[in-house]
Amino acid sequence: MSDSTVHYRWKRPHFIETPYIRYGLLALAAIYLIFALSTLRVNPQRIVEGIPRAINMFRGAVPPDFESRGGLIVRGFIESIQMTLIATAAGVALSVPIAFMAARNIAILPIYAVGRMIVVVARSLHPVVLGVLFVSAVGFGAFAGILTLIMYTLGFVGKLLAEAIEEIKYGQVEGVRATGAGFFATLAYAVFPQVLPRLIGLSIYQLDINLRASAIVGLVGAGGIGATLNTAFGRYDYATASAILLVMIGIILVAEGISGRLRGLTK
Amino acid sequence: MLQITDLVKSYNNGEPVLKGLNLATDERRLTAIIGSSGAGKSTLLRCINRLVTADSGRIELDGINILELHGKRLQDTRRQIGMIFQAYNLVDRLTVMENVLSGRLGYVGTLRGVLRRFPQSDIDRAYALLKRVGLSQYVNTRCDSLSGGERQRVGVARALMQNPRILLADEPTASLDPKTSERIMELISRITDELDLPVLINLHNVPQARDYADRIVGLRYGVIVFDGGPQDLTDDWLEKIYAGHEDDLKKQMKVASEDGANE
Repeated sequence: MSDSTVHYRWKRPHFIETPYIRYGLLALAAIYLIFALSTLRVNPQRIVEGIPRAINMFRGAVPPDFESRGGLIVRGFIESIQMTLIATAAGVALSVPIAFMAARNIAILPIYAVGRMIVVVARSLHPVVLGVLFVSAVGFGAFAGILTLIMYTLGFVGKLLAEAIEEIKYGQVEGVRATGAGFFATLAYAVFPQVLPRLIGLSIYQLDINLRASAIVGLVGAGGIGATLNTAFGRYDYATASAILLVMIGIILVAEGISGRLRGLTK
Repeated sequence: MLQITDLVKSYNNGEPVLKGLNLATDERRLTAIIGSSGAGKSTLLRCINRLVTADSGRIELDGINILELHGKRLQDTRRQIGMIFQAYNLVDRLTVMENVLSGRLGYVGTLRGVLRRFPQSDIDRAYALLKRVGLSQYVNTRCDSLSGGERQRVGVARALMQNPRILLADEPTASLDPKTSERIMELISRITDELDLPVLINLHNVPQARDYADRIVGLRYGVIVFDGGPQDLTDDWLEKIYAGHEDDLKKQMKVASEDGANE
């Protein structure tokens, strides 16, 4: 029973073994924090001056005014929802072939390069930047917004679907290929069924994302409720603006609930 | 009919898996290929229908060298070669009927295939085959809800749907429990006998090879070391085929004897 008299000391090993590096990194983090705070240059005077303006704005926003600009709000939302539906449908339809092009296990190298490039370009630009580009290309309004959202969809659905295609079970492809099926028949029979649930899930999720983004791209003039919101702020009409924000939150909550349900069904 | 000459295959420029292999099959015969894992059994079958591409040699099916074919002509030859896989390789999310009909994709046009508009004769044949393998009740069931044995029956039906000249089977029973494994072997053996269809079958299970094969080929490190009838396969030969892999062999024999005791 002498075992019980032996005590072992145990401490959780340090994440970084070497003490110099460990404390060195801590010191660097502290220096960076001080430096970062010092560059903020918070101006107390501006804060003090800003407080009454903020109070003024909130006072103007309560109670929200749904009535006086009701027609504009409804029209704005309808436009946003239309933009969302059209752009999601068109974007997903375009994403499917591009995702197949951008999947390394399906496409030969030159096609893969083109597919990847399209996805990378679509992803590298934020919807607001895309919105600015398309507004200057095709003018203000919903059409620019639709084009923006199509590109946005292409980047997101295209990339994630390509990844899903790269993760398929290859045995099923071999099984169909061994029957003498052609390339496109093999894609349709052995690849597409494997990624279909993922495609449906992504499309529903993208619908949800596009609804949100449609409000943002409106701020740069690409139509929809964002444009209405921008106008309301421009006119210091905070009551209408807060009404728009409340409706927006409501619609997005409902959309999120629906999309969550639908995605649950595709498992 | 199928004539393999000087077949060489290596992966990634490594040591060849098949080293100048020669093999000819005859009509109406079940040929079992045995050998330890790594002997090149799967590679051999996969070279025949070009799921992998051999480095050199010839594989002739009715006089046509498969290794020289491309595109449409390769597909036309592939559809004459049915294949059954160890992992079934069915499309899980498609129904039993869709999987069986996919055996006709080498014959019907792409669009008809994609739209599932197969000729009536194909549909009749699919129903007949499903009845023959005992799956009539599962026509519209998705394959991922079937058991292993049922899936392999679908695999057999899909391969036969091609109306093939020859059937390849790559360890078709290795993923199944002993009883189901026996039933599948029996099905393959009987149905190919009815159809006068020659079969090349990779088997891990030596007793099964002895029971069902008309001819046994022993493969060892990419070279054929034994070729003869089941009665010629003595324990001495087995030791030679499996030399260095005795555990592999013992496991196979033990499974078989336990299986026998259960019956």
